[in-house]
Amino acid sequence: MPRAREAGAKLWDWPVRLIHWSFVALMPMLWWTAQHDNISLHKRLGLVMLGLVVARLMWGVVGSEPARFARFVKGPRGLMAYLRGREKAAAGHNPLGALSVLALLGLLLAEVVLGLVTQDVDGIESGPLNYLVSFDVAEVARHLHELVFNLLLGLIALHLCAILYYRLFKRDNLLTPMVFGRKALDEGMAAPAMAPAWRALACAVVAAALAWWLGAGAPH
Amino acid sequence: MKFRKIALIAAGCAVVAGGTLAIAATPSDVISARQANFKVMGKAMKGSFDEIKQPAASLEVLKTNANAIAGAAVKVAAGFPQGTGPEAGVKTTALPAIWEKPQEFHADADKLVKAAQAYQLAAASGNLDAAKGALMQVGGTCKGCHEDFRSRDN
Repeated sequence: MPRAREAGAKLWDWPVRLIHWSFVALMPMLWWTAQHDNISLHKRLGLVMLGLVVARLMWGVVGSEPARFARFVKGPRGLMAYLRGREKAAAGHNPLGALSVLALLGLLLAEVVLGLVTQDVDGIESGPLNYLVSFDVAEVARHLHELVFNLLLGLIALHLCAILYYRLFKRDNLLTPMVFGRKALDEGMAAPAMAPAWRALACAVVAAALAWWLGAGAPH
Repeated sequence: MKFRKIALIAAGCAVVAGGTLAIAATPSDVISARQANFKVMGKAMKGSFDEIKQPAASLEVLKTNANAIAGAAVKVAAGFPQGTGPEAGVKTTALPAIWEKPQEFHADADKLVKAAQAYQLAAASGNLDAAKGALMQVGGTCKGCHEDFRSRDN
């Protein structure tokens, strides 16, 4: 479908897509490295994940319109109005999908923060900020690190089911726009405004610096 | 007099009963005790690693932790009598290999004891780099044994 690639309005800019697909690549790698006790690689990948999550959160404040939380996250009333069909969603995440975005990003953030302080059962391998917490707190973090991972798996499964549901029952292809960035918008939908590249670069620098600082054991 | 005699007999019975209890510690007690012992070492390992991450690591802190590890290390081998494996029905990550290959297991436990004592000596000697190196050796013996004799799931 070459049309879908070129036609339509710009919806997902490259920072959103790059971060999204990096998540997709990192999740199995993080799982694999944890499963095979390659903790040094797991920690480095985890810091990359941390930087990406932070960058995405920043992009949700200063980024392109479809990426902004203020634009797509609605309160309960807005959500009900959308679900009852009284209000149409703007291009991008609808108010229900917004909950999924918040839950996924929230859990990813929780997971990387837990990873910073957690430790293996022997108290030998540990996250860069493990020295700031007690053995018992780190033990709780270890269990939560695993629990949140399982919650993430559940939400990812739900995410994939939703994409399939939209494809099969609503005839709405969500995948191609996330790959190529463009989407044919409904009649009367305004094309969203895109943020300049320098802002993405600024977010990337701040996020990378934070990840590096935390990875170095930070606030000594 | 009579009362005293009864009291003595009662006390004697209590001692015997207590002794019997101590001998017949349930697998669950044994498992709890050895897990607590491993936790002592885990805490002291974390305490050691926390300390060497400090800009000015204190050898006194390392010494305290080294003593804790060495004190617990000597109890490891005896913590796995027959009947305290997965078959005990209590949650344990001890693998049957411990009882299938007792010589290798005891050799590993012995490596830990030696490494812990070397860490103690290094920390007491006042040489920080030597203490760090000895600490890494201890960590290596933990991992080496866990690879063969402990299940990953916990």
